Amino acid sequence: MIDTSVRITEGLSLKNPVLSASGTFAYGEEFSEVFDLSILGGIVTKGLSLVPKEGNPTPRVYETACGLINAIGLENVGVDAFIAEKLPFLKKFNTPVIVNFFGTTDEEYESMAGRLDIEGVSAIEMNVSCPNVSKGGLEFGKYPDILERLVSKVRKATKKSLIVKLSPMVTDIGAMALAAQEGGADALTCSNTIPAMAIDEQTWRPILGNITGGLSGPAIKPVALKIVWEVSRKVRIPIIASGGACTWQDIVQFLLAGASAVEVGSASLRDPFCFSSIIQGVETYLEEKGLSSLHDLVGQLKTS
Amino acid sequence: MKDCTATVMSNNEVARDTYLMVLQCDLPIAVPGQFVMVKIKSSLDPFLRRPLAILHYEDGRLELLYKVKGKGTTEMAGKKKGDELSVLGPLGKGFSVPAEGEDVMYVAGGTGVPPLMALAEHLKKGRMIVGARSKADIPLWERMNKIRGVDVQAATEDGSLGRKGLVTDVVEDELSGTKPRVIYACGPNPMLKKISQQARKAGARCEVSLEEYMGCGFGVCSACAVKTVAGNQRVCMQGPVFDAALIGWDS
Ligand SMILES: Cc1cc2nc3c(=O)[nH]c(=O)nc-3n(C[C@H](O)[C@H](O)[C@H](O)COP(=O)(O)OP(=O)(O)OC[C@H]3O[C@@H](n4cnc5c(N)ncnc54)[C@H](O)[C@@H]3O)c2cc1C
Ligand SMILES: Cc1cc2nc3c(=O)[nH]c(=O)nc-3n(C[C@H](O)[C@H](O)[C@H](O)COP(=O)(O)O)c2cc1C
Ligand code: FES
Repeated sequence: MIDTSVRITEGLSLKNPVLSASGTFAYGEEFSEVFDLSILGGIVTKGLSLVPKEGNPTPRVYETACGLINAIGLENVGVDAFIAEKLPFLKKFNTPVIVNFFGTTDEEYESMAGRLDIEGVSAIEMNVSCPNVSKGGLEFGKYPDILERLVSKVRKATKKSLIVKLSPMVTDIGAMALAAQEGGADALTCSNTIPAMAIDEQTWRPILGNITGGLSGPAIKPVALKIVWEVSRKVRIPIIASGGACTWQDIVQFLLAGASAVEVGSASLRDPFCFSSIIQGVETYLEEKGLSSLHDLVGQLKTS
Repeated sequence: MKDCTATVMSNNEVARDTYLMVLQCDLPIAVPGQFVMVKIKSSLDPFLRRPLAILHYEDGRLELLYKVKGKGTTEMAGKKKGDELSVLGPLGKGFSVPAEGEDVMYVAGGTGVPPLMALAEHLKKGRMIVGARSKADIPLWERMNKIRGVDVQAATEDGSLGRKGLVTDVVEDELSGTKPRVIYACGPNPMLKKISQQARKAGARCEVSLEEYMGCGFGVCSACAVKTVAGNQRVCMQGPVFDAALIGWDS
């Protein structure tokens, strides 16, 4: 029998390595009309904050070669409305719910983690690519010491599996990964969008309402692949890949690089029906290669 | 919503840089004002689908009317009979149906023609006002004039067809005569804002079809937010057709 399941942490086991990504799946309602969400390895929700957020002025997305730049501005319903209105719906599916969240101060992150330590939430994913208002807007995810302190505080606030989603645009991604591990992270997501912008040469103006945004989609896959590979050689905790995955081939490549699971984001904006064929493709691949388990692939890249 | 493979039956230039594409595909039933997301190629570039209003859909025959703007629509214009593309839809919420006997007006500016022509062909009544820079930019003028029960006028900036001036000037004149109960409009935002004010003054209901840059077209990415009195709404889900009175035109 082909076993596509993978254990990420004590509290988080996935039936297959394919997850949705934060911000491209909302809270699952729309996608539930498209396919049975129970086929997924897990659902990652839109990033939540302590209070609802309205987001940035439009345009909020702009297509670029093989990808897109987004500056949604983390529009979300807020953690209370999520728990009251969205979580009960998500609990109906037979798949883990991973709640993505962010804050603007250490205290906000701690408070969010505490509120999400409830039944129905399988794990929490911390987005640290956000400005720290008490540090003059420096990103939490850019400095190892700031990140380690933040993660260790959040660690104390929750018994859930804690996943830290790293920023790709840092001097030393290995150092950031180690800092998150030292702080007490159970797993890492590698990684978020890459800071980017688009300019209209006719009007001399930026295209996005927010001026800058984050690049995602197949354009960034080679970068994400390299980050996963580099981080996997530094840490002992599991890695979830994020960045440009569109096909089952991409999933296999990320697993070989060292990821235990992969989030599919931008690809599902273009092809909402993509998940089942990706999952099926991974299964067929294992079968054709005569592999009995996903663990036979994870981190098996041959470099010599 | 369904994702279906569509085969190009024809794809012809019907006005300056504006094409009518007829496709064979198997979508669920659609109402006027709804749209589709078109994946122009299966390769990864262009990456996103393009939102286009449904001009007509019946018995597996889908009509799209599009203006060539950039990368995606340029690729579309190069499609030949027999080529395939992928169509996701129908998406969004269409126009409301006016009550029996209610007098209606349609106002289309620029690329706003498709959803309003869809509605006019469906309702077969009312007045239609189409605006463009020049006669050469107005698509399907003959077909529009043949819609039974619909009276059509044009406004062009250079005066080459109909009245010289803006579409909103014609609307102003028309409103000084018989006032419609409902005005349906699609076009650039400044035009829609003006029409929304004109409708309010005339005591008419006004529904506008909005355009916004889209990531998904089916409600999951929040790219297409529009400010309304009820907070942010998604053009692809709660719209693209909105009650004009609910839109925060200045934000
Ligand atoms: C609901 C809806 C219905 C529409 N219906 C029609 C129609 O029936 N006929 C028609 O000619 N046009 C219509 N448009 C506008 C059409 O979607 C754009 O002109 C088209 O996407 C431009 O693509 P491009 O690749 O040629 O341009 P590019 O500038 O190369 O596109 C780059 C990116 O920006 C987006 N974009 C650029 N301009 C617009 C715009 N005005 N609105 C939304 N996204 C944009 C594109 O979708 C793409 O993601 C509609 C838009 C919306 C939101
Ligand atoms: C429209 C959009 C919204 C996103 N919102 C969030 C978010 O709220 N929180 C977060 O951690 N990442 C967010 N992301 C990043 C994705 O989760 C993902 O990490 C990134 O897009 C790279 O993966 P992809 O190429 O598969 O999309 C967003 C991405 C997109 C395209
Ligand atoms: S385009 Fe994604 S929510 Fe409307």
